[in-house]
Amino acid sequence: MLDILLPILIFSALALAAIGAVRRIRLWRQGRPSPVPVLRGLAAVPRRYLVDLHHVVARDKVMSNTHVATAGGFVAAMALAIVVHGLGLAEGVLGWLLLAASATMFAGSLFVARRRRDPPARLSKGPWMRLPKSLMAFSLGIFAVTLPAVGVLPADAGGWLVAVLLAAVVAWGLAELVFGMTWGGPMKHAFAGALHLAFHRRPTRFSVKRGGEGRSTGLKALDLDDADAPLGVEKPADFTWNQLLGFDACVQCGRCEAVCPAFAAGQPLNPKKLVQDMVVGMVGGSDARYAGSPYPGKPVGEHAGDPHGPIVAREGTALVDAETLWSCTTCRACVEECPMMIEHVDAIVDMRRFLTLERGETPNKGAEVLDNLIATDNPGGFDPGSRLHWAADLDLPLIADRGEAEVLLWLGDGVFDMRNQRTLRSLVKVLRAARVDFAVLGNEERDSGDVARRLGDEATFQRLARRNIATLSQYRFDRIVTCDPHSFHVLKNEYGALGGDYEVFHHSTYLHTLIEAGALSITPTALGRVTYHDPCYLGRYNGEYAAPRAVLEALGVELVEMARSGYRSRCCGGGGGAPITDVPGKQRIPDMRMNDVRETGAELVAVGCPQCTAMLEGVVAEDRAEIKDIAELVAAALGDDATPAPAASDTRRTTEEVMG
Amino acid sequence: MAFDALFKPIEIGNLTIRNRVVSTAHAEVHATDGGMTTDRYVKYYEEKAKGGCGLCICGGSSPVSIDSPQAWWSSVNVSTDRIIPHFQNLADAVHKHGGKIMIQITHMGRRSRWDGFDWPTLLSPSGIREPVHRSTCKTIEEEEIWRVIDDFAQGARRVKEGGLDGIELSAVHQHLIDQFWSPRVNKREDQWGGSFENRMRFGMEVIKAVRAEVGDDFVVGLRICGDEFHPDGLTHDDMKQIAAYYDATGMIDFFGVVGSGCDTHNTLANVIPNMSYPPEPFLHLAAGIKDVVSVPVIHAQNIKDPNQASRILEGGYVDLVGMTRAHIADPHLIAKIKMGQTDQIRQCVGANYCIDRQYQGLDVLCIQNAATSREYLGLPHEIAPSDGPKRKVVVVGGGPGGMEAARVAAERGHDVTLFEASEQIGGQITLAAKAPQRDQIAGITRWYQLELARLKVDLRVGTRADEATIADLRPDIVVLATGGQPFLSQVPEWGYSEDRGQSLVVSTWDILGGAVEPGKNVLIYDTICEFAGVSAADYLADKGAKVEIVTDDIKPGAAVGGTTFPTYYRSLYEKEVIMTSDLALHKVYREGDALVAVLENEYTGAQEERVVDQVVVENGVRPDEALYYALKERSRNKGQVDIEALYAIQPQPALATLDDDPDAGFVLFRLGDCTAPRNTHAAIYDALRICKDF
Repeated sequence: MLDILLPILIFSALALAAIGAVRRIRLWRQGRPSPVPVLRGLAAVPRRYLVDLHHVVARDKVMSNTHVATAGGFVAAMALAIVVHGLGLAEGVLGWLLLAASATMFAGSLFVARRRRDPPARLSKGPWMRLPKSLMAFSLGIFAVTLPAVGVLPADAGGWLVAVLLAAVVAWGLAELVFGMTWGGPMKHAFAGALHLAFHRRPTRFSVKRGGEGRSTGLKALDLDDADAPLGVEKPADFTWNQLLGFDACVQCGRCEAVCPAFAAGQPLNPKKLVQDMVVGMVGGSDARYAGSPYPGKPVGEHAGDPHGPIVAREGTALVDAETLWSCTTCRACVEECPMMIEHVDAIVDMRRFLTLERGETPNKGAEVLDNLIATDNPGGFDPGSRLHWAADLDLPLIADRGEAEVLLWLGDGVFDMRNQRTLRSLVKVLRAARVDFAVLGNEERDSGDVARRLGDEATFQRLARRNIATLSQYRFDRIVTCDPHSFHVLKNEYGALGGDYEVFHHSTYLHTLIEAGALSITPTALGRVTYHDPCYLGRYNGEYAAPRAVLEALGVELVEMARSGYRSRCCGGGGGAPITDVPGKQRIPDMRMNDVRETGAELVAVGCPQCTAMLEGVVAEDRAEIKDIAELVAAALGDDATPAPAASDTRRTTEEVMG
Repeated sequence: MAFDALFKPIEIGNLTIRNRVVSTAHAEVHATDGGMTTDRYVKYYEEKAKGGCGLCICGGSSPVSIDSPQAWWSSVNVSTDRIIPHFQNLADAVHKHGGKIMIQITHMGRRSRWDGFDWPTLLSPSGIREPVHRSTCKTIEEEEIWRVIDDFAQGARRVKEGGLDGIELSAVHQHLIDQFWSPRVNKREDQWGGSFENRMRFGMEVIKAVRAEVGDDFVVGLRICGDEFHPDGLTHDDMKQIAAYYDATGMIDFFGVVGSGCDTHNTLANVIPNMSYPPEPFLHLAAGIKDVVSVPVIHAQNIKDPNQASRILEGGYVDLVGMTRAHIADPHLIAKIKMGQTDQIRQCVGANYCIDRQYQGLDVLCIQNAATSREYLGLPHEIAPSDGPKRKVVVVGGGPGGMEAARVAAERGHDVTLFEASEQIGGQITLAAKAPQRDQIAGITRWYQLELARLKVDLRVGTRADEATIADLRPDIVVLATGGQPFLSQVPEWGYSEDRGQSLVVSTWDILGGAVEPGKNVLIYDTICEFAGVSAADYLADKGAKVEIVTDDIKPGAAVGGTTFPTYYRSLYEKEVIMTSDLALHKVYREGDALVAVLENEYTGAQEERVVDQVVVENGVRPDEALYYALKERSRNKGQVDIEALYAIQPQPALATLDDDPDAGFVLFRLGDCTAPRNTHAAIYDALRICKDF
């Protein structure tokens, strides 16, 4: 009887899955067009899956092995089951292979079940709780029905009752695992996930065979000249179709939730919930069936949306509240952790763009900062002619006077901040000690546009960027060096789309090359226990974890690492305009970071970012560790003989000359 | 950005100054060898530049001519080419830290002394005597005028060749240039006196000669007063006219403005306003000058606080603020603002210990910061933590010496407990702050309070330490700064008794501290003539008492400094306090409800009596030595301070023995008034030089 039932079950499951797939694809295609190379994309899936995705998943060894057994077992078992049971070709080794595949899958599903017995808070519950049972139903069912096929049991063993029961179990398994894949349910991730890998909006984030770590972190530019293109994302259908596909791939593992600084601080953001909300919006309906951690302080079931309705309501509630979007620090911890390669930060900035550009609803200090950027080219609203006030006694060479320099020192808006001025002075001292041929733009420099862009003001970003690019194009220099990772990232990764391509170094990288080249005579001093805080825009955004540590090592520092460091570093809370939009939570992100520091017992935190310095120094605590930029530490190790002032200052400048 | 008005660079002539804060010209009185800048001098200015000061104008009243004597105040001698290489060292030290440095050059004319060194004949336009220095002078002749004009030019050349960034011509404080300006002392009828142009001529010729010598690319400024405050002197309108006149030449790069002339004790007190003055009392005069000139204006005088300085600059009253005493109190003032540590700035309180020493020809020192001007000895403004073992340090007594000892020991990284018997720290500073217009001196205590809290010193106020409490803490080092008590028992006839009901006399501490109600008709006998006596007199008069203050010395308040006694006298005379000299308090006895004070003339022996209801005696302090002698024998160094090490700013040898023999008891030091009554600076200096090596 099974030999009649099983082909029916298998082929109807496959047929239903095909229908589901069409429906699912139509849901995604509500999004805006985004051309992709279809065949090349599909061909890239195995490598992207086995290398890039595995690289992320393998950070949790048990879960990685579990997934290999379960998913690998399932794929093999399903393929073999079609042959063995669907087509009735049980000869030879095929039946035995099917037994082995389903047994492997069963073994995997036991681990899935074990994980679900006391699941961590980050995992979604709901339908996901039945998944281990479905996996077992499928694997056991297929195993059982295959025993007669290989002749271990007689074909009619157990009689018709057993056969019907087994068929029901197999049907359950097929329902969850085959057509559930396209009709919704936990297994949707396999279908959407595979296609997301194929049609990802950032193909360059994946590694390629010829080597090199794939990385793509710069935000994509809006085409402001296209009158028809929406300014950002108002409704789910405003996302590109492959963004929607990406949301649909989410496995709700909550790795993003576990690393999100805003979530930990009790701000109303949970990256997983946000992605799920986008799926709710794409399909239409309410978030009532969401079975994971909510946005802190926001009960589930009060928000709903549809593909063509606004995501953020002008009044009342829609799919997501604006403060959820403004809580993000753009630290990319969620993106870094996501095994499905979802781009949360892109989505958040897309939605912010609409709120800022179309509605003018940048909250708190946001509007003021953007106004300042428009009026003064810097977020603080300082006199643009005062960029070099901090350096009036340093006689910094202006590139405008010389036309060229080996290093263009990009100062950043830290010039207006007394704390950062100490870092800058240290950096100047180090460059002078190393006899680096450098110059600065002075008052010609403008804000890099980082904050404007992350607050959604793409127009201001592009205006600043284009003006900076125009200025830079007048001069010849080999490379740009900056102590600001935000400027570093924008100059290196985001100006390219607007025609500005430069070799850009973060100062820690550059200082490392100077030390390696023996250009600095370092006298190591005892600094006690030191830890290093990785700035998000240097680490996760640009993959530079080694150089700052190498510099510290050269200073004779014995580094103690925080539990969360390197690619898992916890954000200081200062990125993405978060201190400007200032969404309240239960605690402050920098306080949490300084708690991380305290756990190491470090007396000093080395940093490499003005924003991190400001945020961490803003923490008020008993015996708080000291915060020093890498440049300050290097400068101090050069001794007192090295001065920030130029060696020969016989040519005096007038204020007019220095200040422009 | 907070304080951005302060940190906006400014161009003076061809020079860019990194911020708006200036240490203005003052006599440092430690320039010598023979007028040549010394290591001490260079380090004093280097510390200011290191601390972030934008512009230092050094060498107040540096003479260009040998008949403007250099030696009385050890001024920088600009009258010889020998100074040039010394200037180069000074310029390098300041430039290294991004600062700029100029020097004030002058001929002081009659405002000096003639009775020493070369026994000069002082010069002045009309030979009129100068009262503050009691100096007579001759009427300057035409030949001498031209010689001095050339001396100015040669002095300016030496400054330029030495690599300094500019000069400030002094036409303030009644020096020769403004002696020519002022009709009060210029009675000439030749081309150098009389009409406005004639009175301006000498200054004009000096400026022309200087400019011709140094060229256009060297900063030349002019320091002037804003109003001489004499009925026969130059008024504010006159000064505006003068400033505009010289500004119109285009040869002056900046003006410095000082409110008030200073050729009398009373006007001199205005020049360096002490704590009795309001903030920036003469800013309006400087602002008036700024109105009529086209170049930057610098103004000092009671600008001590960064917020105040910012407010003045933001208001546009002047272009640069002089924070000179503020830098003497804390040369790292600017750095601390930039570090966001404004609470850690040791703020000038206007005690004028610095300037009052200068007027006696003594080196300029700060009442509260003993490291200032001692940088060359290795006394630090920033105390580095010890790299030796962490010690348990017990300090007894929360007066200035004890507070400094606790601060320095805590900065060294030690575990410090400070005992203070009364309910608050401050010691005699707390009493001193009770007198009218003397409250700002409590700023010294305020700073220590903040610092001791920041440094987590275990502060035990209201706790009188004894042998047992000290032993309980198992200290490695004990510092006693227990001060003393008013010394009223010296003369039995005064009728002092520890039982206040029986005692015929009370102390100035009793009065200022409020332990005794002010009487109605009070005699103060003040044999010390420093602050306590006149403060008690002012306090009592302020409470409505009829007060006579009597001394056997020259005059009540005679030992209060030159810029401070005038403000006391203004107050005392206004309140009709009678000041009587040359009488000693012979005896006090009770007659009915009244007290009779018998006074005896120091010079004739004649006695006279006063019938009063309260007799206050100021006879200084008797050290409180009880705890010292209780601990002395148990200490490993028997309480002795090694004075060779102390004077040489070297570590006390006893400290080195702590690790050799841990069981030999603690090291014991005593300092301040519990050793011998001296002053606030003495207590703080001893505390710093003893404790810096803990």
